[in-house]
Amino acid sequence: MRVRNVLAGLRRCTQLWLSPLWRATLVTLLVLSASGASAGEATPPANAAAATPAPAAPETGASRDFKSLDQDVQSLKTEVVELNKDLFVLEEELLFPANTQIAVFVSLDVGDFFAVDSVTLKIDDNEVANYLYTQREAEALMRGGVHRVYLGNLKVGKHELVAFFTGKGTHERDYKRGATLTFEKGIGAKYLELKISDRVRKLQPEFIVKEWE
Amino acid sequence: MVRMDSFRISLGARPTRTLRTCLRTAAAIFLASSVLGTTAARADLAGSTAPDFVLKSLAGANLRLSEYLGEVVMLNFWASWCGSCRQEMPQLDRLYATYRSAGFVVLGINVDDDVARAMDMARALNVSYPMVLDPRKSVAPKYRLGELPMSVLIDRSGIVRFVHSDYQAGKEQPYVAELRRLLNE
Repeated sequence: MRVRNVLAGLRRCTQLWLSPLWRATLVTLLVLSASGASAGEATPPANAAAATPAPAAPETGASRDFKSLDQDVQSLKTEVVELNKDLFVLEEELLFPANTQIAVFVSLDVGDFFAVDSVTLKIDDNEVANYLYTQREAEALMRGGVHRVYLGNLKVGKHELVAFFTGKGTHERDYKRGATLTFEKGIGAKYLELKISDRVRKLQPEFIVKEWE
Repeated sequence: MVRMDSFRISLGARPTRTLRTCLRTAAAIFLASSVLGTTAARADLAGSTAPDFVLKSLAGANLRLSEYLGEVVMLNFWASWCGSCRQEMPQLDRLYATYRSAGFVVLGINVDDDVARAMDMARALNVSYPMVLDPRKSVAPKYRLGELPMSVLIDRSGIVRFVHSDYQAGKEQPYVAELRRLLNE
């Protein structure tokens, strides 16, 4: 719990770095300091000769400084994004170690006979996940996307997974089906897939729960 | 005897008055702290990323807040028993109609326990913006819902910018000013 809180706090800090308000403030401060420095450098050439093209030099210097500042900010942002990604992966590895990890995925094959609305998961009679799919997410599934609906920890041994699918069947009728799988959790991560596919012969959707090898 | 009785009576009256005063003071302190606490919590909310959620709409579709990223969103928490909510919603509908094309969305979040009542009220009010149902109150705690109605303005980056829970009929100008500012960003 403490580790989770620490990691969540670090991720919040990186998100603060990425917030537009913070970035704008940082850019403004850097520009002001750079323009202050370049104004100090520009005054001696301006005083030397009024007819010579001295006014062009400070502008070029300032624009060069601004470009390098912009590049610095962009590289900082890239580093922050990388750090955020690393923290996220670390958080997952700490909270869900491989020897107890279980992940459940949902996929949709074709989807002419069933438009998924929600999926509810129960493992050993405990509800562990309940996900509502928006239209955009359902379309992404139809296009071949795979959604990780649950990530958790399970002890070694026999377990039962029950999945309930709610949605619209053919002719816009409400449809609710369940699928069950009894599986053995060994040492190592376990990956299960809930696949919704069309059974063309019966003109009905088919709900399969399968284990990834 | 009379004096003793009056003395006893006066003794009995003083503690009651004192007790009433103490109770009134305690109630005032409690109310003040709860209001301050709620105000402080809502002040924390402004400037933070809007907590994402997905709820079922009255039309049947599921609506997720993060899918509106890029638009200015107003979340309006309401209930069928809330009179101020019923006054506010037509005004919000007008705002929605005016600024919809500029990228403004209003999401009405109903927190009634009775979904049927919520649906009846929504049909009676006949607003054009999307309404979602939160009978389990899964979203309300994320936004530290206190009194109703409560409106939360979220900018195009998904950051909570303004929180209002003091709607008064005829005083929509602050809403409009804040909304225009966010739309112009």
